[in-house]
Amino acid sequence: MEEWEYHPPPDIDASMAETLRNFPREPKMLPYAIRSIASLLLRGWMRTYHRMQIDGRENLPDEGSYILVCNHTSHLDTLCMMCAVPLARIHRTFPAAAADYFFSSLPRSAVSAILINALPFDREAKGAESLAICAKLLENEGNILIIFPEGTRTTSGKMARFRSGVGRLVAGTDLAVLPCYLDGGLRAWPKGKLFPRPYKLHLRIGPARTYGHLEKEGRSVRTICGDLEERVASLGRQGK
Amino acid sequence: MSISQAMQSDIFLTYVAIVVGLLVFAGVVLGVLYLLGKNVSAPARTYRGWLIMIPLVLGAIFLGREATIVGVSLLAVIGFKEFARATGLYDDWWMTGAVYLALGMLALVLLVPDPRLDQSGWYGFFMASPVFVIAAILLIPILRNRAKGQLQIVSLAIVGFVYFGWMFMHLGYFANTPHAYGYLLYLAFAVEINDIAAYTFGKLFGKRKLREAISPNKTVAGFIGAIAVSMTLPWLLWFSFPHFEPVHLVLTGIIVGVGGQLGDLVISYIKRDIGIKDMGATIKGHGGILDRVDSMIFVAPIFFHMVRWFHGAS
Repeated sequence: MEEWEYHPPPDIDASMAETLRNFPREPKMLPYAIRSIASLLLRGWMRTYHRMQIDGRENLPDEGSYILVCNHTSHLDTLCMMCAVPLARIHRTFPAAAADYFFSSLPRSAVSAILINALPFDREAKGAESLAICAKLLENEGNILIIFPEGTRTTSGKMARFRSGVGRLVAGTDLAVLPCYLDGGLRAWPKGKLFPRPYKLHLRIGPARTYGHLEKEGRSVRTICGDLEERVASLGRQGK
Repeated sequence: MSISQAMQSDIFLTYVAIVVGLLVFAGVVLGVLYLLGKNVSAPARTYRGWLIMIPLVLGAIFLGREATIVGVSLLAVIGFKEFARATGLYDDWWMTGAVYLALGMLALVLLVPDPRLDQSGWYGFFMASPVFVIAAILLIPILRNRAKGQLQIVSLAIVGFVYFGWMFMHLGYFANTPHAYGYLLYLAFAVEINDIAAYTFGKLFGKRKLREAISPNKTVAGFIGAIAVSMTLPWLLWFSFPHFEPVHLVLTGIIVGVGGQLGDLVISYIKRDIGIKDMGATIKGHGGILDRVDSMIFVAPIFFHMVRWFHGAS
């Protein structure tokens, strides 16, 4: 008789805190159920409380992996982008989140991992390692990565320079990058405030960009970041 | 079972006193060893695990019948989940979900009154449930129109349900009996004492391995020592079941002493076959839930039917 193969998960001995922080995460029924319900509630909340408006949904590719980049003014950015992707892909949508903030304690890790499905991104020491995880994620079909290339929330409303990570991810690949701009986040939930206020949010999703024609090198990384920065900013100007 | 009955139950209060006494004693011993400069980090972690588990168990029994049944059912669900994760059955959400549903159904069957007899817990359906659940599990590949690898998935699901679910959940049925406090507390206490005795005798006198291909830590001395302790315990704790005759005490001792260690060995060969050390990391210092409740899985149903054979539905 042929021997059976067992497939115990690699993190079987991990504690709850480690399991939440580990990435990629093993699909589990309870977190999936909670996330699905939370996503539905979130969509209702954003529609009513923030009168969320999303333009350019038709730009989202139906298949394949892609990256959404957005300006970063508040936590509402992530929540709004999660509402923009199709509900069926919510478990394969991963907002890159600062590990030092979103995974700093057990309750925060639980919210980030279960509700947001966040990808713990190391902003400081292991940036390259985190980028490699992102690259691996995007190699698989049908994953969506949400990145805020500014690296942190702005307090002034002025967009910061884009950091090079996104450029390094997509240079020389045919991965689609969609520039997005969220209007109203700064007013609705400025950094430091405990609760969001009921201001209108307006998300604009631009057409997909690809950078397969550029070499994987420092110069093209800067070109890509500059291009994306310009696209996001011009989406922002559309509303004015 | 209810809060007010627990407050008035001498059996419940005595067990609380025994367990608290033992915990304080163990804490003092650990403290003294620590002050003597011994490394007690591993036993201290195990001890902290007990400090969390014991109040949970006593708390559920204190709250009454429903809380006890829900608690036992949750343990069965978590235990099955650990088994499913370890074997890879968990990748198949249909099958895992079907067993979850079946375990939820068993919990309901334990809670509802018997539709034909005037007693709580639907005895007939509980005992017959494997027929229906195994049938349902076997039908899932047909519903999904799949053949490849299905025998393995079906077999794992059946073991998962029958062994980790149904057999273990007999423990919950004791909550429906008039001697609930005595049976539940005795079993929980005796099974753990049996585990500790096997470990201690094995450490002190163990040379010959009991089943060397299954577990390197279990010795013949531990096995015999644990049975000796478990055979003595019913006499010391006779107050738990005052209606027992001596022959029932002997049977109780054998069931806990042998059954407890067999349950341990079953988990051991499952783990060894898969190639893992612990079934999970749910309880710090103890491994997974299954590493803790494994000894109960044979004991609960066999003790249950022994009691029912001699003393009927009461």
